[in-house]
Amino acid sequence: MMENAWIIPLFPLLSFLFLILFGKRLKEASAYIGILLTLASLVYSLLVLFERFTAPTYKAEGVWLTIGDVQLTAGFEVNQLNALMLVIVSLVSFLVHTYSKGYMNGDDRFPVFYAYLGLFTFAMLGLVISPNLLQTYFFWELVGLGSFLLIGFYFYKEEAKAAAKKAFIMTRIGDVGLLIGMILLFWQVGSFEYDEIFAAVEAGSISATMITLTAILIFIGAVGKSGQFPLHTWLPDAMEGPTPVSALIHAATMVAAGVYLVAALFPLFTASETALMTVAIIGAFTAIFAASIGLVQKDIKRVLAYSTVSQLGYMMLALGSAGYVAGVFHLMTHAFFKALLFLAAGSVIHAVHTQNIEHMGGLWKKLRITGPLFLIGTLAISGVPLFSGFFSKDEILIAAWAHGNTVLFWLAVIAAFFTAFYMFRLFFMVFAGEARSDMKNVHESPSVMTMPMVVLGVLAVVAGYVNTPWFGTFLGDWLVEGNHSLGHGHIEGPAWIMVVATVVSLLGIFLAWLMYGKRSLSRDWLTSRAPLTYKTLYNKYYIDEFYQLTIVTGTKFFSSFLRFLEVFLVEGIVKGVAGITSALGKLGSKFQNGQIQTYGTMAFVGLAILVVIYAVTGGYLK
Amino acid sequence: MSAVPVQAYLALALILFCIGLYGALTKRNTVIVLISIELMLNAVNINLVAFSKYGIAPSITGQIFALFVITVAAAEAAVGLAILIALYRNRQTVNIDEMDTMKH
Amino acid sequence: MTFSGEFLAFMSLALVAVIGGVLLLNLTKVVHMVVALVFTFVSIAGIYVLLSAEFVAAVQILIYSGAITIIMLFGIMLTRHNDTSEPQTGRWRKLLLFLGVLGFAFAVYIGIYNLDIAQTPTDLHVNNTEQIGIELYSKFIIPFEVTSVLLLVALIGSIVLAKRDDEKEAEEE
Repeated sequence: MMENAWIIPLFPLLSFLFLILFGKRLKEASAYIGILLTLASLVYSLLVLFERFTAPTYKAEGVWLTIGDVQLTAGFEVNQLNALMLVIVSLVSFLVHTYSKGYMNGDDRFPVFYAYLGLFTFAMLGLVISPNLLQTYFFWELVGLGSFLLIGFYFYKEEAKAAAKKAFIMTRIGDVGLLIGMILLFWQVGSFEYDEIFAAVEAGSISATMITLTAILIFIGAVGKSGQFPLHTWLPDAMEGPTPVSALIHAATMVAAGVYLVAALFPLFTASETALMTVAIIGAFTAIFAASIGLVQKDIKRVLAYSTVSQLGYMMLALGSAGYVAGVFHLMTHAFFKALLFLAAGSVIHAVHTQNIEHMGGLWKKLRITGPLFLIGTLAISGVPLFSGFFSKDEILIAAWAHGNTVLFWLAVIAAFFTAFYMFRLFFMVFAGEARSDMKNVHESPSVMTMPMVVLGVLAVVAGYVNTPWFGTFLGDWLVEGNHSLGHGHIEGPAWIMVVATVVSLLGIFLAWLMYGKRSLSRDWLTSRAPLTYKTLYNKYYIDEFYQLTIVTGTKFFSSFLRFLEVFLVEGIVKGVAGITSALGKLGSKFQNGQIQTYGTMAFVGLAILVVIYAVTGGYLK
Repeated sequence: MSAVPVQAYLALALILFCIGLYGALTKRNTVIVLISIELMLNAVNINLVAFSKYGIAPSITGQIFALFVITVAAAEAAVGLAILIALYRNRQTVNIDEMDTMKH
Repeated sequence: MTFSGEFLAFMSLALVAVIGGVLLLNLTKVVHMVVALVFTFVSIAGIYVLLSAEFVAAVQILIYSGAITIIMLFGIMLTRHNDTSEPQTGRWRKLLLFLGVLGFAFAVYIGIYNLDIAQTPTDLHVNNTEQIGIELYSKFIIPFEVTSVLLLVALIGSIVLAKRDDEKEAEEE
């Protein structure tokens, strides 16, 4: 099966091409094509994954370009990480395809939506089986394009348009870093191949400074894609896209691409302590930073978006703490429970037609399926024991502790507390309490929407058991098998960490219950006690405003200066050249008037000029 | 020996040549253009005859050349006039600036 | 510098020739221009005499002052010359040409000025016509014959060109 793994991304591509060409005629039926083809991808991915459990890594490459002595190759590789990612991506994509059948029902551009989903899935699957950086970069950009198209799907909405542009440009800033890092690596190693890069790193043929530099530059690419601070602002805005898109792209797959990239290049990062530290610090800071913003947001999807940013920060922290397994593990569990949360949120929005959680409430009784599923997701993300998030988050905390990042460890613990608090705040505000008067026609979503959620709900519970300290670290052992540079499959940590994590998350839940469930604490104590803090948090630390004021204004100023140059200098020169040419042409055509005397005059004057020049310079002038 | 140097003859020829050239290229009437060309040929003849007497190797050949030039100039004047008449019959004009059909 | 007779004769003839040329340029009526040029041609004949070329001088008067001038006058009379107005375009052209002619004259004059040829006595004036005849019929016999062919061609060509094409015009009418 693995020899033909390249076929996996082709199914969604086929779907994309087919729907772009015939989507208009197929209308609603196009959903079935998309669903079937992604199902094919999923089945194939699962087969590949199962085969990979026993078989060694398979890699196939062909020469793509030969430039001088350098050969650029293209191909695919199935190693543990890739196989796992294949399954995650195709699974979530398949579920989202199915879910969208219900969610997007009645939209005018229904087939286009499926086509875009196909394109994105193709790009993402292509990304995770790329054996070299160059190919990765291609698909990386293609993923960005898919994201751009899907965020801007409601392009007639100003916010959606702006968000799409913002997402594209912000990630592009990161991509520049990635590109430069790539080029530097190529310059140093002479190859884009992961294997050769790792070999060169291990052999020590690259200087330590260069490793650090390239690793950090590549990490900047990951920062852009994974919404890490300071390039995180696009991710919450990207929630303007349809909710299934948020679930697919901005929870499970694309934003995880940054984490995947760092994981794929993990040997490079481990070679530089500075680079690892940078990753860890950025990750931990993002985790707590985004979590604190999530505390006060009022839009259901924005809360989830900030929690995504925060969770991605967790993954980065894990990777930065040399916890390869922990990072990938959390990537997997997070993909399941965050996709679940988004789909459930979509279901809620579908039911009540608003995204403001202050206008919701008492939905528990009305949404009998969505409610419990949302609760499962919330419990998982909060790290309540026995749910998947608990195990993966625990792994991360242990990794951070074991790596000696005490400060970052405590930051992560606080972030975990925040996470539990704001997730349950969200849950209580949406599902508990009295039903608002204007919520009359609330009804459960169709089964085509609930079924994917049920699947994800099951996974959100059980996915954690593949790698637990109690029943064996199966996933971890498998992931690092045959590759020493990835670290240990399981990092031993003191048992009290697990206790602390549990206590902290339960504390957060309890506090949220007190404030939003039981209402024994005033909801407004933060607003009234520390209005400044509240405002800062509500406005997301004014990061957007800061960017607006500094970078955007600066760029605008600079552009107007360039425009000035363009209009007066460049255009002046261009117009001058054109004017001179046309004037010369007009003059020349004036001479071509068919009159023999004009021709004679010109010929003679030319001769006279030559004779005079010769007379003056020729030397017979004494 | 002679009070008139060869330069004087040459200068006269130059002046007449320039007058003829200017006339040939500025006059509108084709007859005058033709006659200006005759003047230029005459200027050349003066040179030929002058060099036949005062040249580095004086000989009668210069005068014979002048005779040939005069003959050819006469033939040219005759043909030119004939063309002019034919053209006048067709275009009803002798103005050289109206003879620009070759442009199109 | 002595004012020898030859010098005086040259100066007066040259003056007449140049004045004739200038009048050609400046007169407004076409017939007057041609008549002005007759002076030039006659003066040039005088110059030829000064240069011991009596035969060429005679030919000059016969052909130029006689034949060509008369042909030109015929040409003028046979065509219409009702417009003496200045051409609208061509001011710049005239100026440009004038400068070009001046430059050309200057350059050539430099060459003339620096010319220094030692004068050697010649016997051209002795039996000038006889000398020409002997040369023409011995050394230059082939060009001479070719010239006769040229004259014949010019004669026939002129007749063909100037003749009224009766058949064609009859068709047109």
